[in-house]
Amino acid sequence: MKATTLDKIARAVQERPEQLLKAREKGGKVVGYFCSYMPEEIIYALGLIPVRLGRGGSDDLVELGGRYIGKGTCVFLRESVGLFAEGKEPFSQTCDLVAVATSCVQMFRLAEVINHFFKVPTLVLGVPRNFYLPQGRVYFQKEVENLTRQLEEFAGTKLDAAALKESVALYRSIRQILLKIYDFQAADSAPISWREVFDVVHAGFYLDRADYYRLLQELLSELTVMSAALQHAAGDERPRILLSGTNIPPGDTKLINLIEEAGGRIVGDDLCSGLRFISGLTVQDCSLAGVADAYLDKIPCATLPYLPSLETDRRLENLSRLIDHYRPDGMIYHTLRFCDAFTFKAAETKRFINDKISFMEIHTEYADSDIEAIRTRIDAFIEVLEGRRRAKISKAATA
Amino acid sequence: MEPSNGAFCAGVDIGAVGAKAVILAGGKIVGSAVVPTAVNAEKSGLSALEVALKMAGIMRSDLKQVVATGYGRRTIAFADKTITEIGCHARGAYSLNPKVRTIIDMGGQDCKAIRIDEEGRVTEFIMNDKCASGTGRFLEVMSRVFEIPVSEMGPLALQSERMVPMSSTCTVFAESEVISLMARGEKPEDIINGVHHAIAQRVAGLLTRVGLEDDVFFSGGVAKNVGMIKALEEIIEKKVVTSSENPQLMGALGAALYAAGRIAQ
Repeated sequence: MKATTLDKIARAVQERPEQLLKAREKGGKVVGYFCSYMPEEIIYALGLIPVRLGRGGSDDLVELGGRYIGKGTCVFLRESVGLFAEGKEPFSQTCDLVAVATSCVQMFRLAEVINHFFKVPTLVLGVPRNFYLPQGRVYFQKEVENLTRQLEEFAGTKLDAAALKESVALYRSIRQILLKIYDFQAADSAPISWREVFDVVHAGFYLDRADYYRLLQELLSELTVMSAALQHAAGDERPRILLSGTNIPPGDTKLINLIEEAGGRIVGDDLCSGLRFISGLTVQDCSLAGVADAYLDKIPCATLPYLPSLETDRRLENLSRLIDHYRPDGMIYHTLRFCDAFTFKAAETKRFINDKISFMEIHTEYADSDIEAIRTRIDAFIEVLEGRRRAKISKAATA
Repeated sequence: MEPSNGAFCAGVDIGAVGAKAVILAGGKIVGSAVVPTAVNAEKSGLSALEVALKMAGIMRSDLKQVVATGYGRRTIAFADKTITEIGCHARGAYSLNPKVRTIIDMGGQDCKAIRIDEEGRVTEFIMNDKCASGTGRFLEVMSRVFEIPVSEMGPLALQSERMVPMSSTCTVFAESEVISLMARGEKPEDIINGVHHAIAQRVAGLLTRVGLEDDVFFSGGVAKNVGMIKALEEIIEKKVVTSSENPQLMGALGAALYAAGRIAQ
């Protein structure tokens, strides 16, 4: 049985482009942004409408975008450029401004391309490579400060301390409630699937954040009731998968479909379009510097190099936490074609988690040309996990 | 071999180049076949199965269980279950030699390295990326450049007294590299020796990534190539064993063993 609030949320997303157009007629301004290092709280506090941009899953748009950004670049960013080139996707079309957090060099190129070829005003927020050092922190505080000044100018208003406080509180509540919803999907007999939760997170890229929060509250109470009814239901026996690696944006369902078709069940992720978008991010101090610090202290993206030691790498630490919390049997690590940062770190990720759970890296892109080859890998991985589970059960039975 | 109470069961392996079938009864192979894969994967699987049935002297209705594997496994509507070729090659190789811990499977279109534990369970596997390097297709393209049948490639490599190093394993680039080596006057057998070493080097990379442990078993159509076995042994510095009958049947054999196991359950 599916939670009815999910349909309500899906409808709200469908109606959102129309709503945005109306808001613009009344003088509202939409800020489309890229990358989860963008502090949305500030955009919202200035009375601007934040929308997280970017889609995946369409090879035609990848090809189209590649004409502008080049063939050897990240497939997600190629498709995102494709959205601007094609001019049909409603969210990229209703932006008055595009803001890009430049966590990787390709993201920076995206900002250049949108600005130069599509004439959309574009702002960038520098993300420091040395994010773990004091000078990196100072740099990011200054970058956030500078971005805020530019956004203030664009909005025609000054950032109000009370409005920022309110915005910070709203985003905190949204993240907290989403984390609770994530726990529901991981239960042995769950009232909601990971995929549904993932879609709910994506709805938050588009909806008015106050409306979104109300919908999340409604969903949470519905799930609480549903969950109570499932108390004595049989557990889900499918192998549990933790999905890690490159961003999987709205529209890209290839890997998720293949995992489900193979009989696997995703129970958690550390994707910047999923759990990493909402967890490990709490603004303690409601100042610009406080917001900057909170974003820099998030679970880092693989694009940010970390030299000190693997033992203190928070990206890896977080994976350990996720393994304990969501109890996966295996990890599927997604490297999107030309997302070098994630494939760089695949080997060390494997070494780090392999004594806990099985690991497999999948290199793929949105084109369907490799679908059967990828299916074989995923089917075989699920077979390995099922074999392990059976061995564990028979061992327990003979013990 | 698995007990199946004498009932007939079959494994069908539809690969990129060949469709294979093995029929088991009472733990013995009573029928087997290899036919070229045609455009229609299911029909290819069926025709392999028909040949194997004829050899066993039975009808399709006599089969209690059919397990399909290989690239075309999902198209086999008559299969009771599908299992990936990774699981099936592991099962097939382990049934022939329980000391096997590492398996290299080189087929028509991909290449994989598989690790199994002492009970024959797959613990790790890696497949080459979506390209034809280090596969049967690569050798086929090369054989066309030399205008010899692919079956003569291995024996010719063994006649080489020196190896001409090749830098490409990309099928497209290697072809032009071979042509320029021939233009330079290198002997065909020395270039072919180089081709085999280039592939073996790539496979060795896969093997290192899954962890190389004795015994090493070589399955798939390319395992029929003596030049490839020698090149692999030289590079990984280990003995490589294969099936004395037909290494191409390992996947179908593994699938048939799974089918037998399903009857026994």
